[in-house]
Amino acid sequence: MIRSVIKTTLPILFGFLPLGIAFGILFQELGYPWYFATLMGICVYAGAAQFMAVGMLGAGVGLFEIAISTFFLNSRHLFYGLALLNSFGSWGLRKFYLIFGLTDETYALMTTIKVPKEFNRERYYFLITLFSQSYWVLGCSIGALASSSLNFNTEGMDFAATALFTVLLIEQWLKVRKPLPFVVAFGSSCIALILFFQHMLLAAIVLSITTIIFLRFIKSKQND
Amino acid sequence: MTDISYLLLVMLVMTVATYATRLTPFVLFSRGQERALINFIAKNTPPMIMTILVIYMLKGVNYLSFEGVYTFIAILVTVVFHLYKRNALLSIIAGTAVYMVAVQM
Repeated sequence: MIRSVIKTTLPILFGFLPLGIAFGILFQELGYPWYFATLMGICVYAGAAQFMAVGMLGAGVGLFEIAISTFFLNSRHLFYGLALLNSFGSWGLRKFYLIFGLTDETYALMTTIKVPKEFNRERYYFLITLFSQSYWVLGCSIGALASSSLNFNTEGMDFAATALFTVLLIEQWLKVRKPLPFVVAFGSSCIALILFFQHMLLAAIVLSITTIIFLRFIKSKQND
Repeated sequence: MTDISYLLLVMLVMTVATYATRLTPFVLFSRGQERALINFIAKNTPPMIMTILVIYMLKGVNYLSFEGVYTFIAILVTVVFHLYKRNALLSIIAGTAVYMVAVQM
């Protein structure tokens, strides 16, 4: 099972490691000991929010403002859980960890891949989440610890995230085979890009879900 | 500048705020009300969010520079590999390798 999980999460490794290293390097410039970057990767475990935190820590921003900014920056996760309500098994420590470790990348993987038949689904998801977070924590630590002595050029490695989402988009198409959700999402993204360039991700998700519910409502009205 | 207690408080606040976003839907919809609508949303969000994530990743690219050309080629390589071999890892490594070589030249 571990071998299969490593193979499945390898694209996440390529995405998380350079991004984590970049975070570690930035964080280390604040002057804190390196292991706080490790701790942040373990506790907070949110890419964009951690980068935001570096700026806010440097400026000494108030706790309330940091709480609100973090919540809104990560509020797309509110919608991720909806697709996984029945996938994480019964309430328990494992489910709490699976929810804690839900990121763009693990969400994309778990909603698209088929868990091999011989493995228990919740255990498989647990290992995907655990390995993914380990890559992130490893990246944060390496960056903060060895920022001056790194000489492997990772420039461009972050394209792995784009490639991962592209591959999973193709897989979603092969699975769903209906143009509607893709068209709705594309249209919503275009509108979100024009109106809310900075907050495009959340705006597009809210807009597309609202639109598709609206379309379903109209369709059911017509059938009455 | 290096105020450890401030850093720890920030981390605590951020941990709770991030976890709250991930936990909310599971707590709100654990009792099975509005099942039909939730199932409809659950079925339709993955294809929509995947589309949005790809566009999101591509929004910061400067399309009037070489970066735009490299991105286009790397995406094309990823897609072609995936349609021919349908091996996710192979497609991702191929696309990423092409992109890395291109930007580091």
